[in-house]
Amino acid sequence: MQNDTRVPVVFDKVAKSFGTVKVLEELSLSVQPGEFLVLLGASGSGKTTALRILAGLETASSGRVRIAGRDVTEVLPKYRDVAMVFQSYALYPHKTVGENIGFPLKVRGEAAGAIEAAVKDAARQVELDALLDRYPRQLSGGQRQRVALARAIVRRPSVFLMDEPLSNLDAKLRGHMRSELKHMQHSFGITTIYVTHDQVEAMTLAHRVAILEKGVLQQLDTPRNIYNDPANLFVAGFIGSPPMNFLKGSLKDGRFEMPGGQLGTALNYSVGAAMLGLRPEDARVVPIAGAPIRGAIYTNELIGDHTLITCEVEGQMIAVKATKDFAGQPGDPVGIDASPASAFVFDATTGARMR
Amino acid sequence: MSIDSQHVLTRPGRASPVVVSRRNQFNEWLDQHSGRLFIAPAVILILLFSIFPTIASLVIAVSRVRLSADGFKFRFVGLQNFTKLFFGNDQIHFLGRFTEMSVIGWVLIIATSVWCARWLWRQWQAGFGVIGFIGRLITISALIGLAVVLAGTTLSGNQWGTLGTTMFYVVVGIAVQFGIGLGLAILCSQQIAGKNFFRVVFFIPMMITPLGVGYAFRMVADPTVGPFAPVWKWVGLGTFAWASDPWTARIFIIIGDSWQWIPFIFIVMLAALENVPRDHVEAAQVDGASASQIFREITWPAIIPVAATVLLIRSIEAFKIVDLPNIMTSGGPGIATESMTLQALFAWRSNDFGSSAAVAYLLLFLTVVLCASFFNFVVLKHIRKEQGA
Amino acid sequence: MSDTSPLRPLPMRGLAQRLFEPPSVGRMAPGTAILVYLVLAIWTAFVVFPLYWVFITSFKLPQSVSEGPFYLPFVDFQPSLHAWNDLIIKDWEDTLRAFINSVVIAVGATALAVTIGSMAAYGLARIQYKPKFGSIMVFVVVLLGSVAVTTLSGLDWKIVFAVAFALFVLLVRALSRFFIRRLGNGDILFWMISQRILPAIVVIIPVYMMFQSMGLVDTHIGLIIAYAVTNLPIVVWLMHDFFAGIPQELEESAQLDGASRLFIFWDIVLPLTRPGLAATTLLTMILCWNEYLLAVFLSTSQAQTMPILVAAMNAGDRGILWWTMCVVIVVMIVPVVLMAVLLQRFIAKGVLTGAVKG
Repeated sequence: MQNDTRVPVVFDKVAKSFGTVKVLEELSLSVQPGEFLVLLGASGSGKTTALRILAGLETASSGRVRIAGRDVTEVLPKYRDVAMVFQSYALYPHKTVGENIGFPLKVRGEAAGAIEAAVKDAARQVELDALLDRYPRQLSGGQRQRVALARAIVRRPSVFLMDEPLSNLDAKLRGHMRSELKHMQHSFGITTIYVTHDQVEAMTLAHRVAILEKGVLQQLDTPRNIYNDPANLFVAGFIGSPPMNFLKGSLKDGRFEMPGGQLGTALNYSVGAAMLGLRPEDARVVPIAGAPIRGAIYTNELIGDHTLITCEVEGQMIAVKATKDFAGQPGDPVGIDASPASAFVFDATTGARMR
Repeated sequence: MSIDSQHVLTRPGRASPVVVSRRNQFNEWLDQHSGRLFIAPAVILILLFSIFPTIASLVIAVSRVRLSADGFKFRFVGLQNFTKLFFGNDQIHFLGRFTEMSVIGWVLIIATSVWCARWLWRQWQAGFGVIGFIGRLITISALIGLAVVLAGTTLSGNQWGTLGTTMFYVVVGIAVQFGIGLGLAILCSQQIAGKNFFRVVFFIPMMITPLGVGYAFRMVADPTVGPFAPVWKWVGLGTFAWASDPWTARIFIIIGDSWQWIPFIFIVMLAALENVPRDHVEAAQVDGASASQIFREITWPAIIPVAATVLLIRSIEAFKIVDLPNIMTSGGPGIATESMTLQALFAWRSNDFGSSAAVAYLLLFLTVVLCASFFNFVVLKHIRKEQGA
Repeated sequence: MSDTSPLRPLPMRGLAQRLFEPPSVGRMAPGTAILVYLVLAIWTAFVVFPLYWVFITSFKLPQSVSEGPFYLPFVDFQPSLHAWNDLIIKDWEDTLRAFINSVVIAVGATALAVTIGSMAAYGLARIQYKPKFGSIMVFVVVLLGSVAVTTLSGLDWKIVFAVAFALFVLLVRALSRFFIRRLGNGDILFWMISQRILPAIVVIIPVYMMFQSMGLVDTHIGLIIAYAVTNLPIVVWLMHDFFAGIPQELEESAQLDGASRLFIFWDIVLPLTRPGLAATTLLTMILCWNEYLLAVFLSTSQAQTMPILVAAMNAGDRGILWWTMCVVIVVMIVPVVLMAVLLQRFIAKGVLTGAVKG
């Protein structure tokens, strides 16, 4: 693929409401040419709506959408030069694999010979050349997925849109297809917008991740920054597995105080009601004597390479990742410590990150 | 791409130029108007041959129509065609013969009125809506009207007219058909051998022309040369002609109608029964429910929506009944088996177009009111209850 | 028995239990089985017997019919082909004409109804329509007025309707900004399906008059139109459910790939609904094939269909010609029963999807 097919995509204050329900609120974001952008969010966050507005399958209630600098807000889907892979793959059950892949070219009225060559070429890239005469129902889940991909790449679109393309695959195949997708996007260099609810897909695939919640963009950044520097409580809780611990308390001269203990943070001021965020992997189990936070073991679960310990501290639960040979039993008293740099503080009412 | 040789396509009012080649302009036009193209032929056909005649029929119903050398001549006569049916010459034909009201008649009228009043009162308490209230008033007037006709005619020892006969076919016919159809469907949903055989055989009558059904039943029921003639003779009814007694004639027509239509109810209810989730039934079996309890508590609630729809479809068609009474009895003896459609057909044959249209319009009114009432106050109510729960 | 289980002891099975309580799940108790098969057998006899009687009557001589019931061919009466001979050899012209009329009209009406009906059903399943309620009211009022003026004043209907159309356009133009309430697809769908409530007898007189002025009485086209309109609601209803059942993503994908609506309808949607389409087609065809009331009104001689031929055996001074009538009925039944066997699963399915949606 040549560089001139790399086009930018811009959402300019795009909003969408169905009746009185607002599903998307003034989304503004620009996708760089050739970028792999992931829209991440739970169901109902508006991520699929944003994608469908970009595809032209829904009309924005307000705002503009630009592809390659052209305002396409009112343009029919077929003139936008985008290709989409659907969650269900949307393969035509009455057409063979070859006919499915060739469909976009047939619709454009291209010559039969050209279609055949392009179909073979696309099929080879996704390793489907041997299956062109089969019907979709005769294929496995992974193969169907690849047919959908081939149908998208066969006409060399300006933008790829993918709506949870891996969610119908089993866990093992999903990991495999994930790396295939990443490789393919890298080699084509086509601007790609990818919708998912799976944080692992988002972290591994994306150049940048846009996290949406209730129709509002929460944070747009690289996977690394989103993990290390979450913008608010929602992002902090959404990214990371097991999820971040949140503890209620107050901030006094930069020290977080809660019933059952206190912890130093990177801040240096006081707040009446604050929320402390602490990732299980950043917390340590320490001897109870002199520990900043003291509690008792509630459960311990051996995961394999580590032990996940849940501690109860004055009614609040804290999960801590410990070594796989940790030997404490439920009920044992235990101390918890963490470095000030790994402790995130959030406003207790708005959820905004305090810096 | 050079812009000169291309046609620039924009949606009206918005400036978003998109380049399209000129030879596709027609296809573009077609695509942009495809919404209308899809629906227009059906709308036009219905407007021309369904809505327009319905409105025209209303005009005929308030006219006296004469056939003359240069076509039809219309003269406006107001509601004369209708008043004739309710109060004039055709009252006996349409409503029936009224005399002194019997005690049972009064009881029925009072019971219906009390029930309607209670129903209205409950709705009033549940919350008042103007449209719903008007709808209920229309339903109630239709019900009380039917009760008065029934009470004044048959229940007081007189004969009813085509209105009563039509209602008889609808109510009794559908009750019989639904009961037997559901029963057969339940039997066929069991683990029985030859399920497909019964399914196909039981379905066949629905495909037979009603005309054929009428004549076939006339032959089969013939008391002298029909196949059951020896049986009639044996029980001492050898000379009895079923077609000459109003009630046996009506019952024979119901039997013919049921023979034809039970298959419809059977096949749909069977599909509904087979659609009931197996794990619900199995959970009930493990909990120790008997077969009848499983039907009452699990199966029946699951098939109610289908049952209601089937009843609705069936009653819409049942109000139009004409072929069987026409063939089997020609409406006789007297007018005992004459349905409203048949009355309209006979009026048309005698060139009385106004009366024919008036009867047809009353049939339309009756069908719409009763079917809409059934749908709104029975089916929808149940659906709302399901969704609320 | 040394049942040492701590569970509640199993009850002893009496005669009634043994007869009517299933020995295990999935098996039928002997008593129940006998009852079930008895009922099914009785109903099978009830269904089949009238058809059998029609069938054997078509092989009876007049005296075999009038001299009392005979049940078994070759056993208590000698079957004869005279009725078949009368109908197919002697009066072959009338028979063939009625048969061809029936075929042409049923096929034509079915093709028209299914084409137009499935297009409308697809549009209603997938495209948003928002007609203004006010415009429809204006239309109805103008139509009512023009019909009344034409019939009661005797003016030429062409002039009246041209004026009415102009009036309608003007009124809608002038008033459209006051019309706020809009109808949706559900309303249009309900309107189309509810046409089935309309008894044919309501529309038949005006349709007869219309057809007479257009020269369509007793023609194939007239009956084709009439049958297509009466069956359109069924087609729309059934096909709407089939179309709504297709995953929308298939069409969206094709749309993104640049296909037009008509192409999607033709290339993606119709092939996917082929079973539903077949069932709807067969059902419509059977209904047209069997129709009698409209045929009585709208055909006099040239366009007479098979049901009219059946009824014609009733006229005449000799009473009913049962034997020839039965031949006609048999000829009508055989193709339809063959279809029925193919069709019954689909009909149930179609009605069921409709019913579940409410």
